[in-house]
Amino acid sequence: MTRAAQAEQTLKLARKSAALADAQRFAEHALSYCTPECREAVTLAVCELGENLIKYGSGDELEAGTIGVSIEDDTVRVRATNRVSSEEDALRVRELVSQIERSGGAVRELYRARLQELFEHPELPRAQLGLLRMAFEGGFRLTCSYERSELQIVAERTCAGPA
Amino acid sequence: MKLGEKVAVESLEVELKTPTELRLAGTLSTPTAQAEFRRMLQDLHAQIVAAKTPAFSVDVQALRFVNSTAIRAFVDWISRAAHAGYTLAFKTSASVTWHRLSFSVLKSLAPSTVEILETHATPAGGGPAT
Repeated sequence: MTRAAQAEQTLKLARKSAALADAQRFAEHALSYCTPECREAVTLAVCELGENLIKYGSGDELEAGTIGVSIEDDTVRVRATNRVSSEEDALRVRELVSQIERSGGAVRELYRARLQELFEHPELPRAQLGLLRMAFEGGFRLTCSYERSELQIVAERTCAGPA
Repeated sequence: MKLGEKVAVESLEVELKTPTELRLAGTLSTPTAQAEFRRMLQDLHAQIVAAKTPAFSVDVQALRFVNSTAIRAFVDWISRAAHAGYTLAFKTSASVTWHRLSFSVLKSLAPSTVEILETHATPAGGGPAT
């Protein structure tokens, strides 16, 4: 297998209590030859997306969704796909991804604004920080599609090279 | 929380090292650890207020990975500390990306409540650092 195009490694995330620990292990091993910084970013993305799949995925299925990790040339890609239980949730995710995309380099301000909201309104039920952290801390570019109850989020970033 | 007692919740380690310093280590990502962590911080806040402690330290240098729920827990704690009138000093590691990026933003929420003490030494302990 060459680094130029590594086939996507996929985790089917089960709806069980150990799922996020499984996701973390999967992420840590998926790109073992990348730089520590890249591996850290991928672990963050896989864990945040995995948590979202479990929280917001359709509740009537044993499998919460799938997460794939692949690399092509110098780009690492994390892809999460699941069926959502609420169209409203899916549209909210799509809007947030769109905001992050529009923000360009100002994603820190979006992240700060969300933390400020949570600081001022501790009663808010959802943190909704995962995608913002992926963009801000992980340096990922995000895209999102929603069709026929299926939500797909793709996160891409540059991987500088092997460790 | 009891002084000197190390509590392990899955891969998270919590220790009240002194009456005014908490040490966190490991990783925090599972629902069980998240729920326990939030409960511990609420109890600790009550202890700090009861003891009228004016300043409290949190050593997170060896806390290598957290998910967003933990960030939310820190936001809530800072909010409670600001209302109660005590300060929180976070000891962070410059080598951990999420420390470097997120704690500066957390400080900006309540600059007179939060202090960041960043070290440049590599912390002990395994697990991913983000």
